[in-house]
Amino acid sequence: MTHFWRNRKFLSIAAQLISVFTVAIVVFILWDNLTYNLELLGIGFGFDFLQSQASFDIGETLIPYNPTDSYYRALLVGLLNSLRVSIIGIILATIVGAVVGIARLSTNWLVRNLALVYVEVLRNTPLLLQLFFWYFAVFISLPKLENQISFFGLINLNNKGTQLPFGLEISSELSALILGLTLYAGAFIAEIIRGGIQSVARGQWEAARALGLKPGLIMRLVILPQALRVIIPPLTSQYLNIAKNSSLAIAVGYPDIYFVASTTFNQTGKAVEVMLLIMITYLTISLTISLTMNTLNRSFQLKER
Amino acid sequence: MNQNQIIKWLRKNLFDTWYNSILTIVCVFLLVWGAKSIFSWILFIAQWKVIAVNLQLFLVGRYPEQMYWRLWVSIFIILGLTSVTIGSLVKKIPNRWLPLAWAISFSVILWLIGGGLGLQAADSNLWNGLLLTLVMAVTSIVISFPLGVLLALGRQSKLFVVRNFCILYIEIVRGLPLIGILFIAQVMLPLVLPDDITLDRVLRGIAGLTLFSAAYLAENVRGGLQSIPRGQFEAGKAIGLNSIYIMLLIILPQALRAVIPALVGQFIGLFKDTSLLSIVGLLELTGISRSILAQPEFLNRYAEVYLFVGLLYWVFCYSMSLVSQRLEKV
Amino acid sequence: MGVLLFDVSGFSTFGKSLDFFDLTTKDTKEERKEESMSMQDVVIVAENVQKWYGKFQVLRGVSLTVHRGEVVVIMGPSGSGKSTFIRTFNALEEYQQGRIEIDGIVLSDDLRNIDAVRREVGMVFQQFNLFPHLTVLDNITLAPIWVRKWSKAKANEVAMQLLERVGILEQAQKYPGQLSGGQQQRVAIARALAMQPKVMLFDEPTSALDPEMVREVLETMKKLAADGMTMVVVTHEVGFAREVADRVIFMDTGVIVEEATPTNFFQNPTQERTRKFLSQIL
Repeated sequence: MTHFWRNRKFLSIAAQLISVFTVAIVVFILWDNLTYNLELLGIGFGFDFLQSQASFDIGETLIPYNPTDSYYRALLVGLLNSLRVSIIGIILATIVGAVVGIARLSTNWLVRNLALVYVEVLRNTPLLLQLFFWYFAVFISLPKLENQISFFGLINLNNKGTQLPFGLEISSELSALILGLTLYAGAFIAEIIRGGIQSVARGQWEAARALGLKPGLIMRLVILPQALRVIIPPLTSQYLNIAKNSSLAIAVGYPDIYFVASTTFNQTGKAVEVMLLIMITYLTISLTISLTMNTLNRSFQLKER
Repeated sequence: MNQNQIIKWLRKNLFDTWYNSILTIVCVFLLVWGAKSIFSWILFIAQWKVIAVNLQLFLVGRYPEQMYWRLWVSIFIILGLTSVTIGSLVKKIPNRWLPLAWAISFSVILWLIGGGLGLQAADSNLWNGLLLTLVMAVTSIVISFPLGVLLALGRQSKLFVVRNFCILYIEIVRGLPLIGILFIAQVMLPLVLPDDITLDRVLRGIAGLTLFSAAYLAENVRGGLQSIPRGQFEAGKAIGLNSIYIMLLIILPQALRAVIPALVGQFIGLFKDTSLLSIVGLLELTGISRSILAQPEFLNRYAEVYLFVGLLYWVFCYSMSLVSQRLEKV
Repeated sequence: MGVLLFDVSGFSTFGKSLDFFDLTTKDTKEERKEESMSMQDVVIVAENVQKWYGKFQVLRGVSLTVHRGEVVVIMGPSGSGKSTFIRTFNALEEYQQGRIEIDGIVLSDDLRNIDAVRREVGMVFQQFNLFPHLTVLDNITLAPIWVRKWSKAKANEVAMQLLERVGILEQAQKYPGQLSGGQQQRVAIARALAMQPKVMLFDEPTSALDPEMVREVLETMKKLAADGMTMVVVTHEVGFAREVADRVIFMDTGVIVEEATPTNFFQNPTQERTRKFLSQIL
């Protein structure tokens, strides 16, 4: 019969077994090192520490919190802050991106090229740097309350933060974070939207013009629905990026989930548990955004024969 | 252009409809006001001393001055190779030795910068600023390239364990923010490695960047692999090649060529992402800026420093994006 | 794609290299065929081959014997299993039951056998499947260099001879994308011939071509047949079958319905299904 080491079927099974074995050994070695080192450092493993007192203060909270509350509550505060930034960022960035994206297609040379400059400048510098710039060079350099900059008495800017109508007050940290995230993501979204609109065949424009529709209506009824098909997948990526980039809040001192988790690690040394918490949080957020956008995506697909 | 042509152009591009005319006027107004403010700030209010005094720190950190010649040699090598590469791309004459030349020069440049093997060593803590940014970005992309290709191939594998491990890795890494990955690399790596292996901070930073980049690269390459028609694989089998040869000689060359624009985009992203290493304590370009700003004499020079550093990043990233656009046309 | 991550077949040693297959026509085709028939020189033996795709049985017991120098044409409606059948000859498709022997080598799960068979069987695809990133010359020399371990010089020489044989020597340095469909298919034929196979399989070689290019490819195939190559051709080209085939086979729903000489096949088909098929294509 055929020698077993040349038998296609045998080799297939052997490869499966060898790969399982190899991965198992590697995992075992890493796990072994991990438990050994944890014991050495006296850290151990367990989530009980979440019940103990946090003993650190958090600058901004959406729910009541004080330093005698548990780590668990602190992390919850951080999570809510992250979600707040992400959701606001996604909404504002989409608006900015849509405006700039359409501006990139304007017949007005000045408007078109100003949009181009905006996109090319913001896309080619690191977000972190932009956040530092907005926070340090702008928001905390703003004049004091007495000399605050005021826009028609509705929006006031001073070194403590931003005052918006309806009594909303946003700290300097949150202002810088939202502004930075929005403008950065807005640049990428602008290109996605521009690409999507341009991808709709020229013939659609021409057919609509021939029917006598005005440009505004053509855009709304014919072009945008078809462009959305192309836009939604890369847009999903950008939304995920906004959620992930919100973790840079640590750079401007805004207490998001990563900042709180990192502080928790610094105080408790519980590396593995904190790492798992961070992973679960962000993966859940990513998954939620992906699922939502995918459902949206499906409703936009063309129905074919 | 004579006066008539100028007026025609203005009319067509700036003033063709009533709302465009209004937009133009508003934009011009804002531009003039903005330009005036910015220029007066640049010339009169801003204090540029902070840049002039610290230029060396920004660019190469505390790299020993007597070893600068090594950096100049490296720059020379890079410029030389780049012009040859561009020349061969433009003229469409493929040069067989180019990939090998790049690979060798990569090692040579690392040796020049770092020392060892005959040259006096320069401790990696002294590589700061733009130098560190470049070294980390290039090293990460070079190492993450084969890793990403392996991950992409593994994702297509028929072996259950391999395929799912790759999918798990890719999806988890892509779902986490880079700062989370860097945290894991800085904190977890020492814990899972045996006691006798220690990685310095720069290596841990590069490891984090590489692991991050490999997952995204894997997805790009996977797109390329899926675009190869099944018939290519069958033709390879029919002429008697085994799977490895088919992959190396037929599938990968085509797949990688297809994803080059995406790869350049990824490199641009990685270059910008090196800035995050400042948060874990590394003094690359962003990190050294913050360190300079912490000095009492340069307190509050935020705008000057961040604009200067932003300009440096922008020059590199924009040039690379121009190269990518050029490559897409080829 | 489903690539086994590490296919071990490439590491096996392979056997003696073959003698240069002499393609010049010293004997006439008839003389050589008589000789091979009498010597029982069979190239392909397929016995009761059965194949399932999941629950669906696509080959239901097909048997075929092909002697050296014979040209066998297989015809049939789409879905009849004819392409699947010839693709079992070089292990592009697996089969669950039956026996296939190519040039004395049994096709089984033994990787060395599969490798050996693929070296002896050349295949020309409907979609050409040329490698777009390599020049025409490199397409042809790829396998001889990497599988038969020839030197580049020897491979190039043989490749140029083959290009001349199929009539497109001047295209050697061009890329497939720069050639017409007919030229590309002729390159594909040269690429398969470069491995000096014992038998050539053709899977609807002209079906993807514009009508004006079908002729040039058929002419090349006719020359190949006249030179004594053993060929199994799946095609709809009746003219080719009439002129060149030794046998024509009609397959339908996974079985061989009828097998006859071209004259008998086209003029006096015995089966009803054959008659129905012929009435549709003639």
